[in-house]
Amino acid sequence: MFRRHAIALVLSCLLLMPVSAGANDRESAAVALIDTMINDLKTFLATDTGDTQARTAEIDRLLSTYFDMDSITRFSVGQYWRAASSEQRSEYGKLLHDVLCGTIVRNFDQLYNLDYSAGGTTVKGDKFVIVQGTFIDTNGARAPVAVTWRVLTLEDQPPRVFDIEVENLSLLVTQKQENVAVIRKNKGDFQALINVMRERLETPLHEGS
Amino acid sequence: MMDVWMLLGRRSLGVAVGLVTTLMMTLAGCSSTPPEQRADLRDPYEETNRKVFAFNMGVDSYVLEPVASGYRTVVPEGGRSAVSGHLRWASMPSTAVNSTLQGKFENAGLATLNFLVNGLTLGFADLTEGEDKVIQEDFGQTLASWDVPEGSYVMVPVLGPRTGRSLGGAVVDFAMNPLRVFGTGNTVQTINTAQGPVAAVNFRAQNFDTINDVKYNALDPYARTRSVYYQTRQGLLEDRVTSSAGSAVSEDEFDSLFEGESN
Repeated sequence: MFRRHAIALVLSCLLLMPVSAGANDRESAAVALIDTMINDLKTFLATDTGDTQARTAEIDRLLSTYFDMDSITRFSVGQYWRAASSEQRSEYGKLLHDVLCGTIVRNFDQLYNLDYSAGGTTVKGDKFVIVQGTFIDTNGARAPVAVTWRVLTLEDQPPRVFDIEVENLSLLVTQKQENVAVIRKNKGDFQALINVMRERLETPLHEGS
Repeated sequence: MMDVWMLLGRRSLGVAVGLVTTLMMTLAGCSSTPPEQRADLRDPYEETNRKVFAFNMGVDSYVLEPVASGYRTVVPEGGRSAVSGHLRWASMPSTAVNSTLQGKFENAGLATLNFLVNGLTLGFADLTEGEDKVIQEDFGQTLASWDVPEGSYVMVPVLGPRTGRSLGGAVVDFAMNPLRVFGTGNTVQTINTAQGPVAAVNFRAQNFDTINDVKYNALDPYARTRSVYYQTRQGLLEDRVTSSAGSAVSEDEFDSLFEGESN
């Protein structure tokens, strides 16, 4: 009886080992991605002159390099992605990219005097790794902010950031729920979302103080 | 004007209960949107809620935003932090009771200790600095732990977003305010009455840029507010806001991305 259990245990360990090793690789890759991105941002901040165009170009580069913009774009409109034409999908993708860029650039000054401290990682299924961390204000003026990076780790593809949760608020889910509300308010018309986004980008925006 | 506030102070529980009852009756009288036409299934009274939201935004533009802006300018960071500390201290009895009701006895003990120790300064200075942080618990969370249904999403005039359950819980928490239980005399009642408006201004000032970003830059400020409210509330229900463990969103939500890959 004992022998049978022992064999089962050994077999289980052998079967689970590759999975566990794979999970560790995914975790390491996700952590490395976040660390590299933070270092990249720090390098830019060290030479930042406050020029909006330069900041926009840098954010554009960071989004393209470290984020899975295709998956983010698709996810951010939920089921309505399927109903959109290829032209609408392409236009929406560009607009979403511009909205995200604009939001980050508008709040760019808040990135100053922040130190990043890495936390733990959690594997979520076979696609995501959650990387936790904390932003700490080096001047002590702001309370530490907990941040969670949801990294997409698909087989044979480099890891990419899919979502950021700040103090447990998912930026992507918030954007998705807002987008879906706009579409539903307009009786499922995907074009209405594009029009609202275009209008928002053209309207002078309120700057943070 | 002061007499009105004093009167409100004495009868505020009755007023609060009356307001909530009136709101519930008003919503019950409103026709709810059929589920298939809702932007969010949890929000059957969206049409009415959007009107209340517009009213609240008006109150924010004319009262809260300018007052909070002035408060940020005039009161230094230390002063604002002291006010936040006092408001947090005033919520400790409610946290202690609700933690006990949820079986979180360690947190209940910490809240009681915090209330007693910081009572020396009325919470304006934190004498327990460096000690274990108390996780704030409200009666809405207690109701959730008892599996009381969440209820519909309601936009309450002036108070903002709530679920039916959290709104009911807020009334009970209001009754548990220590100044209400122990307080006698005009000064205590004035402080008690001022707590609501001060808390509103303090919250607005603490989240000044974030709220302005939603208000002025969101595609649909109402929908974004609803999303943020539900995520924040979910974090509180799972005690994740201060612990930062895990993710606020169900994995099913993200897995839906990979359903029907070919589309």
